[in-house]
Amino acid sequence: ADRVLLKTPIAFGSHLPALGTPIKWVSEQLPVMSDGSVKMKIYEPGKLVGAKEILDAVSSGKVNSGYATAGYWQGKMPAAALFSAVPFGPEAGEYMAWLYYGNGMSLYQEMYDTNGFNVKVIPCAIISPETSGWFKKEINKPEDLKGLNMRFFGLGASVMEKLGVSTSQLPGGEIFGALEKGAIDATEFSQPAIDKLLGLHKIAKYNYFPGWHQQATVFELLVNKDAWGKMSTGQQAIVENTCKASMTNAIAEGESMQFEVMAKAKDQGVNIRYWNDEMLKTFEEKWDEVVVEKTAADPFFKKVWDDLSTFREGYNLWEANAFLPRAKNN
Amino acid sequence: MNEPSSLPRVPLADSIDRMIQKIGHLIAWSYVLLVLIIITQVVLRKGFSSGLIIFEELQWHLYAVGVMFGLSYAQTTNSHIRVDLFYSHFRAKTKNVIEILSILFMVLPFIAVIFIHSLDFVAESYRINEHSESPSGLPFRWLIKSVIPLSMGLLALAVLSRLYRDTVLLFKGDL
Amino acid sequence: MEINEILVIAMFLSFIALLFTGIPVAWVLGGIGIAFAFIGYLADTYFDTITGLDFLTLGLVVNRLWKIMDNWILVALPMFIFMGIMLDKSGVAERLMNSMQELFGRVRGGLAITVTAIGIILAASTGIIGASVVLLAVMSLPAMTKQGYSMPLALGTIASAGTLGILIPPSIMLVIMADQLGLSVGDLFMGAVFPGLMLGAMYIVYILVTGWLKPESAPVPVDAKPADMATVVKVIKAVLPTLLLIFVVLGSIFGGFATPTEASGVGAFGATLLALYNRKFSFKVLKEVMQGTYNTTAYIFAIFIGATCFALVLRELGGDELIESFLTGLPFGPYGIIFFILGIIFLLGFFLDWIEITLIILPLLAPVISALGLDINGYGVVDNPELVWFVMLVAMALQTSFLTPPVGFALFYLKGVCPPNVRLTDIYKGVIPFIILQLIGLLILVFWPQLVLWLPAAAYG
Ligand code: NA
Ligand code: NA
Repeated sequence: ADRVLLKTPIAFGSHLPALGTPIKWVSEQLPVMSDGSVKMKIYEPGKLVGAKEILDAVSSGKVNSGYATAGYWQGKMPAAALFSAVPFGPEAGEYMAWLYYGNGMSLYQEMYDTNGFNVKVIPCAIISPETSGWFKKEINKPEDLKGLNMRFFGLGASVMEKLGVSTSQLPGGEIFGALEKGAIDATEFSQPAIDKLLGLHKIAKYNYFPGWHQQATVFELLVNKDAWGKMSTGQQAIVENTCKASMTNAIAEGESMQFEVMAKAKDQGVNIRYWNDEMLKTFEEKWDEVVVEKTAADPFFKKVWDDLSTFREGYNLWEANAFLPRAKNN
Repeated sequence: MNEPSSLPRVPLADSIDRMIQKIGHLIAWSYVLLVLIIITQVVLRKGFSSGLIIFEELQWHLYAVGVMFGLSYAQTTNSHIRVDLFYSHFRAKTKNVIEILSILFMVLPFIAVIFIHSLDFVAESYRINEHSESPSGLPFRWLIKSVIPLSMGLLALAVLSRLYRDTVLLFKGDL
Repeated sequence: MEINEILVIAMFLSFIALLFTGIPVAWVLGGIGIAFAFIGYLADTYFDTITGLDFLTLGLVVNRLWKIMDNWILVALPMFIFMGIMLDKSGVAERLMNSMQELFGRVRGGLAITVTAIGIILAASTGIIGASVVLLAVMSLPAMTKQGYSMPLALGTIASAGTLGILIPPSIMLVIMADQLGLSVGDLFMGAVFPGLMLGAMYIVYILVTGWLKPESAPVPVDAKPADMATVVKVIKAVLPTLLLIFVVLGSIFGGFATPTEASGVGAFGATLLALYNRKFSFKVLKEVMQGTYNTTAYIFAIFIGATCFALVLRELGGDELIESFLTGLPFGPYGIIFFILGIIFLLGFFLDWIEITLIILPLLAPVISALGLDINGYGVVDNPELVWFVMLVAMALQTSFLTPPVGFALFYLKGVCPPNVRLTDIYKGVIPFIILQLIGLLILVFWPQLVLWLPAAAYG
């Protein structure tokens, strides 16, 4: 087949560790692995199109590929959020197990197909838990959340709203200013190493864990289906397998760089806190309510949710027995 | 701010412009509405902390409507910014020629590209009944997206009116 | 030279050439974008280039246009314009100007200094250049004209004071730069405080010196008296409602009651209340204000829309790579490269606006700067101190881009609200001294990085 140049607008700056660096790695690996027959040119967010326009641009063929996370499309397809991050959902290992060896991938592609998007989807990075948020005050009971203005993204936002939090969805670059000026009282963004770049530790001194809303986050490479069809089987395999390798690379990078940042944050006076049992239980109860609403409102959301839940119920037997309990250190 | 009267009169073009300005005067209320929405939001957010996202989205909806439809209004008031370093010294006929050529070869192709592509953009949004990406946000996103083709159509009309005006003036002899 | 490199250069050159024909800037940008997309397509077809440009790709313009519409930060722009026009129509703006000038008594250039002072206040509340320039012009130009100021001094003062907002926080430009380079927004905000105030102080000194050297350019009002305690009290009473409005806007941001967007709406509402309070409000005034807002906002955004088309095609032609490969091949030492880059940014500022430079050029420069190995010691708590410092240099250089013809947004905004007898050339003449002041300020920052880095280090240490 002819040489392929994947012109790839990305949703996260390639300087953001584990969020944007994986796709840069992919773009460096592709030409090497394919002996130059597959190349990828990445365009930083907004350079060609904004992050939220990537699906439209790829599907219509204005660009032949794009890198984002499915959570961005939940306004177009409510179920998309489930392929990005699930509150109280699977960790990275379990998530990948469902995607690659359960029905995850076929449902993922089915979602785009049945909604008429002309794209081939390939998971191309995954990161481990995000932090649960940065607060200016201690949160010990659900009532402490009431009346807060908080930046919160995705399905978790619906949970927070049920607890009396007003959520908004500021983009990364605007969070610090809003937090500093008090326009928001709290925020979540990503993992510690990424949050550090925003400077959140300078304003909000209480950093809560675990990230119940995002235990693992999947990022996707979208390829226009016509462009995909024109590629040779070999080229397709190279793209798919480079992305699979990128899943490994991304989680390894993400896992490697958090503890140092957290240790430094502690030195700078940040209180690293673990949600108490009451809080975690409350979040989970409210999440269950959200699920009931979402599954009632959208049949495909229900289909994916049911499949994921069935898989997880089976996995439980293994998970509950196989792993050592984790060390907790408050 | 330039006044519409700064352009020489040409009957048909005048009435088209007047119509566009009437539409504009109506849509300009979006900014008054915007002020009220923002005040409401500030009060709600401080007082009741509810309904925040809808008001946040309503804000840029209203702003987008004002900005996009304003393009045609500013065209009829001859307000679009020019570098008048040399332009201000040109003869009237030279200005007519520049206007006609720039409309034919720059403005209309630009509007056409946006207009044609925006049709797909809106249709796509309508097809999947696009909703705000925020769970408690506004529905019917195709509605606000359809502002693009509508406002571009109105801008095209304003530009064609200007094209007609300058063509008439060019061939009319000295004023 | 590669064909697409030739196309990139041709694109810039035809842009400059067509600007001088007097075709509206917005349409020049948009039209050239479309034309070069077509040329790129022909080049792909007949010359074997791979620009990838075709009619379908050009459709990205719509997605980019949508990104401009779907932007809650920019909502503040029409609101501050609304506030400005309303303050003008309500008659309080001129009173504020006149009263504040009485404070300066017989100081030459008192009104111009007032404009600069108000410019600094606006900068700290909005950071939106267009709105600041429009508001300052609408408020002060009639008064300055009446007092017999020389036109260039008046216009230059307004344009330069209005552009302070890009540097003094909160600044949209700094937020975008932080996002682009992965820097802390807080560090950049803090870093910009002293450079911004320094620039404002330099303007005031310049105005004082000009008034002293050329008294006819900044006449003292005929009935001017030295300020005494009674004057001060009188002035405070006269301007209290307006000051209150500014404090509400500023305070709601700094006190954390509202985001800048919300504050802009509060400001617009407050201006309306002031007009009511002064018994100047009527349905006719409201209509004039909203139609003025509608018109002004539209021609400003037309340029955004044209520019987004231009930038898209420029990128597809590989304009980014061309600039990057050129810079990395420079044979100078560290400070030589920095001066060269700042010079380039200054020159680019003549033709591009800060958004394009921030989004296209800055990300290309960051790796070059980091690789220079500049050692700025003593600011350990600030991440990447040399980048923070460099960004501030760029910000200062970009400030001039608002004032440099032919594409200077401050000039356009100013022209937009000036009476028709004021020509763009008058404005060009007026801003030259202020451009020189900004370049001096830039030089000071180059040699005293601590002006930038001391505050963020102290605040977060
Ligand atoms: Na500012
Ligand atoms: Na300029």
